Amino acid sequence: MEYPGTVTELTDDLRQGGYLADRGLATTLLVSLSLHRPVLLEGEVGVGKTEVAKVLAAVYGRRLIRLQCYEGIDTNQALYEWDYARQMLQIRALSERQLADDEAVDKLFGPKFLLQRPLLEAVQAGDQAVLLIDEIDRADDEFEAFLLEVLSDFQITIPEIGTITAQSQPAVILTSNRTRELHDALRRRCLYHWIGYPAAEREVEIVLVREPGAAEQLTRKVVRAVHRLRELDLAKPPGVAETIDWVRTLGFLGETDLTPQAAGDTLGAVIKDRDDLDLARENMAEITSGA
Amino acid sequence: MPDRAVAPFAGVLVGFARELRAAGLVVGTGDVLTYCSAMTPLDPSDLVDVYWAGRATLVSRHEDIAVYDQVFRRYFLDEGAPGAKQLLLPALASALSEAGLVMPEVSPEPPSDSEEKPVLGWMASDVDALKHRSFAACTPAELAALRRIMTRIRLTPPRRRTRRTRSAPSGRAPDMRRTIRESMRMHGEPAELFFRQRKTRLRPLILILDVSGSMADYSRHLLQFAYSARRAAARVEVFCFGTRLTRITRALEHRQPDLALAQAAQAVVDWDGGTRIGQSLDTFVRRWGRNGMCRGGVVIICSDGLDRGDPELLAGAMERLSRLCYRIVWLNPHKGDTVNFRPSTLGMMVAAPHIDLLLSGHDLASLEQLANMLPVLN
Repeated sequence: MEYPGTVTELTDDLRQGGYLADRGLATTLLVSLSLHRPVLLEGEVGVGKTEVAKVLAAVYGRRLIRLQCYEGIDTNQALYEWDYARQMLQIRALSERQLADDEAVDKLFGPKFLLQRPLLEAVQAGDQAVLLIDEIDRADDEFEAFLLEVLSDFQITIPEIGTITAQSQPAVILTSNRTRELHDALRRRCLYHWIGYPAAEREVEIVLVREPGAAEQLTRKVVRAVHRLRELDLAKPPGVAETIDWVRTLGFLGETDLTPQAAGDTLGAVIKDRDDLDLARENMAEITSGA
Repeated sequence: MPDRAVAPFAGVLVGFARELRAAGLVVGTGDVLTYCSAMTPLDPSDLVDVYWAGRATLVSRHEDIAVYDQVFRRYFLDEGAPGAKQLLLPALASALSEAGLVMPEVSPEPPSDSEEKPVLGWMASDVDALKHRSFAACTPAELAALRRIMTRIRLTPPRRRTRRTRSAPSGRAPDMRRTIRESMRMHGEPAELFFRQRKTRLRPLILILDVSGSMADYSRHLLQFAYSARRAAARVEVFCFGTRLTRITRALEHRQPDLALAQAAQAVVDWDGGTRIGQSLDTFVRRWGRNGMCRGGVVIICSDGLDRGDPELLAGAMERLSRLCYRIVWLNPHKGDTVNFRPSTLGMMVAAPHIDLLLSGHDLASLEQLANMLPVLN
């Protein structure tokens, strides 16, 4: 399926895939797809940054290639690596049978011994892939600099093989939780979009799209309670993912109303910090009231 | 490249970008080109598209969004706005509500007054005497001399091992790549085994400086260190507080350190309100600490510990901070040269259990001591 040409179409398609994108996000994605620029998504935890890429890939039948960043990630894990163990065995086998001619040696550095990692995969898949570079802020800045090079040309040079250039560019989505400041050069390569918490009405809609079985009445109450929680000055305010989890938990337990009792029992689905739990329990009556 | 349909609007878009630049955003020519190209799949006469395309292409960090909104409003929406005349604005009101544009109130910038003039031409004749003179007792000329000496002190945070590895003759994991490469020379006979060892790197350094009243003088000297630490390729973050906390790391990149601090002081100090250490540290932990800024880092707090806020808040914030970061160093100028310093203020007493190293930082000698102890802070 081709990528769409208008914001409305893109929004509708994403909705089919269970993702409600607001106008800003849809515009940014559309521009990114037509200009072949990566998108950098920042925002609070649990507002669906990663989900965008997954849904985009699913809806348009692209392959999702995910590169999860972590401290110390290097080219071996992001680009490619030679399968050294196999190479070594092959060398032994060849030399025992006295077969080590030029051709055999060349084969040692062929596709058979090359372990592809996400970035190389994405370059080879071209526009048949959605490349998700998740939590780029967790990688160290050396990696960021390297990424910059790949993202600008979409070509990868392997000394033993040569340069592999993408025939067409994959859609690229980077996400960051802002645990550290990204370098300006990387930001400039990307389109930027900030995803904030959605308004209450919209959040209800999102939950109902993700959890079609949920009761609307209960969902409204839960969303209202979550919005109160976000106002509470918690260390880790709950995201949309937590709202969905909470509704799911309550649904599983067969609750039909968000009573202080029910909320108290299931609070662990939304709040994952002890101090925050205490604060929420103190204000439980207020959180669940006004339903 | 922007196509013809966009061409009539290009002037307006470029003008808008210029306005943004004037407002302090970093907008390159390349960004403007992207902005114009972005209008091709969109509708340049639809203000909502103009807004979002600009936000995606011209803004690259969250802090800049507020400024962008302001300029956008001024350029496109205000009466007699330069952009408004040239664009067809269909159903402006509905467009605005759809996009959910929330325009922040513009608070007037506090006027900046120029801080102390640099005093030049004074040579440090007696460095030793100067070393032990409290900053508070120094004349401007002496301070300038001290500053020159301080630029030579290097502040190097302690190191930690990273997950990144490098090839080494010994280590835990074998370096297959190198071993194979070397064995090629020996006709595939793995003769020598190479290993990978984990690299080390400098821990991040976070300065949290009290800039209220008399503390400002002491804090200013620490800023000098922020520079030297950055030169050593460490990540350095600088915050200052009085009644509120502000992050001045980015401001320091562009401006004179003194000026940045003075401006920050104007923003955060409510002169009658006293110092709110607890509140400020709590803000730091919640907004930045929790996001991982100080994880594994060394936090240096410079304050006299005179807290007007709730001591429980300070205790809670310090406890959380100590769990988040690697070490906490507290500089209290009131400690002076006393060896067995007992904190007298409530704030210091509450914070004391979580402090790993308490120094004075009131004169050059004590700052040298800090510079010496920091690399070996374990």
